[in-house]
Amino acid sequence: MDLYAQNILDRFKHPFHKDKSVKSDLQNQEANYSCGDKVESKLETKGEKLIKYSFSGEGCAISQASADILGDLVEGKTLDEVLAMGKDELFEALGIDISLRRSQCALLGLLTLQNAILKSRNEPMRTWNHFT
Amino acid sequence: MNHRDDFPIFKNRPELIYFDNGATAQRPQSVLDAEQKFYTTYNSNIHRGPNFLAEEATIAYEDARRKVADFLGAHHKHEIIFTRNATEAINLVARTFGETLQAQDVILLSKLEHHSNIVPWLQLAERKDLEIKYMGLSTDWRVRFDPALFDERVKLVAITGMSNVLGTITDLKPIIKAAHAVGAKVLVDAAQLAVHEPINVHDLDADFLVVTGHKIYGPTGIGVLYGKEGLLNSMPPFLGGGDMISAVFADRFIPAALPSKYEAGTPNIAGAIGLGAAIDYMTKLGFKNIQKSEHELGTYLLKQLQSLSFVKIVGPETMDHRGSVVSFTVDGVHPHDVADGLSSKGICIRAGFHCAQPLMDHLKLSGTARMSLNFYNTKEEIDKGISTLEEIYKYFNK
Ligand SMILES: Cc1ncc(COP(=O)(O)O)c(C=O)c1O
Repeated sequence: MDLYAQNILDRFKHPFHKDKSVKSDLQNQEANYSCGDKVESKLETKGEKLIKYSFSGEGCAISQASADILGDLVEGKTLDEVLAMGKDELFEALGIDISLRRSQCALLGLLTLQNAILKSRNEPMRTWNHFT
Repeated sequence: MNHRDDFPIFKNRPELIYFDNGATAQRPQSVLDAEQKFYTTYNSNIHRGPNFLAEEATIAYEDARRKVADFLGAHHKHEIIFTRNATEAINLVARTFGETLQAQDVILLSKLEHHSNIVPWLQLAERKDLEIKYMGLSTDWRVRFDPALFDERVKLVAITGMSNVLGTITDLKPIIKAAHAVGAKVLVDAAQLAVHEPINVHDLDADFLVVTGHKIYGPTGIGVLYGKEGLLNSMPPFLGGGDMISAVFADRFIPAALPSKYEAGTPNIAGAIGLGAAIDYMTKLGFKNIQKSEHELGTYLLKQLQSLSFVKIVGPETMDHRGSVVSFTVDGVHPHDVADGLSSKGICIRAGFHCAQPLMDHLKLSGTARMSLNFYNTKEEIDKGISTLEEIYKYFNK
């Protein structure tokens, strides 16, 4: 069996950003109710910059690996840069083809993160439609 | 029983292993032919044109209704209302019968319900200030009949005939009896049940019963509400429009008689005719044969799953009081990844909450993988599924 690229399986089993203790200035939780994936993200910020990212959650390999790999991309970005991220940037970092049926899994981490920022600004939160 | 050849999809995709019958069944050629024949030889609207073509279409549509009535054991053909699916049939009852309920009335559901037999009642409860209560699960994973829940406040009991997650079959009769004893009506969601077990609404004494065409080898977009004649007559109409009226004046209308009263607008004529053909198909095979075959397949599947130390069956481990719909979890592998792994080998299953989130919460599960078999599945397919599960487990635990 060769289901997912090795990096996905590795990051699913040995995540870098999962359950780290960060000063959580911003936090948010989202779930993909049709399949039971859950992600909660915590962000430490300095001014307008996201300096540390951590998440907790449970779910399929894609949802959890993607929420983890997302951390590599966002630490150091400004909050506006994080909000401007689209699915292409994330999917490229995952390095695998994401089928339509798995794209919600892959996007759960990003949605959770972006909504953490929007929530703190009292702005309307995003839904999956934002990425289509 | 080998009737695989009746299903063109298995000719077109010889490698396909389809274990997702609980989501939708495959269609036999005879159903496709019936729909095609309608469109190519007597396509016309029904109940409208005073011409021979409309007459032929009307006869075929009404003939399909008679087949459904016979299939469900209804006394009258006009107790059968065509809808889009089971979901719409339940919503129809919520928007008609439901409108007659009063604040503080109770609707009794079970923890095993599909969202389509929960949400319409939650919506109604919000509109009418009703209370929703739930029957729990028994130790054998079926709806637990708890007489204490039945009192005069209960006005409707809406329960599944068969769980789409656990595969368990509800012992409906005691529940229906207890409901009637306190003056409540009963709606049976037979969306999963109807493909596995013969149903007789009369014998059950169900007040409403819903079926969805696509799970019993019929087309998508056609479903059925059975309702007792007296109830259907007493309830207000549902959607308004053409066909559902007998007269319209500038300031009022008179609803049509049953069944048209609940069928506003041009219905899914081809779908109803296709559903009639699906019922003919099942009748020709015979429920005895269908059940025998599915019992064997289910028994084999349960046994093979039990032989895998890393698999937990969610539901009963024998075929007593259950159909060939089996949920399970794989240690250390999320159900979605199980489904993806099987999918990579050409095997279709469903994974996740199965539109039954309250049940998942109750069982404290974040989803299951589900294999649902119909008579056309084979033991060889099950073997392939089992060996693929072993591969998946190894892949995630290497
Ligand atoms: C038990 C049960 N009830 C209701 C439904 C809804 O059927 P439909 O989506 O065809 O309306 C389903 C199908 O998923 C089901 O399994």
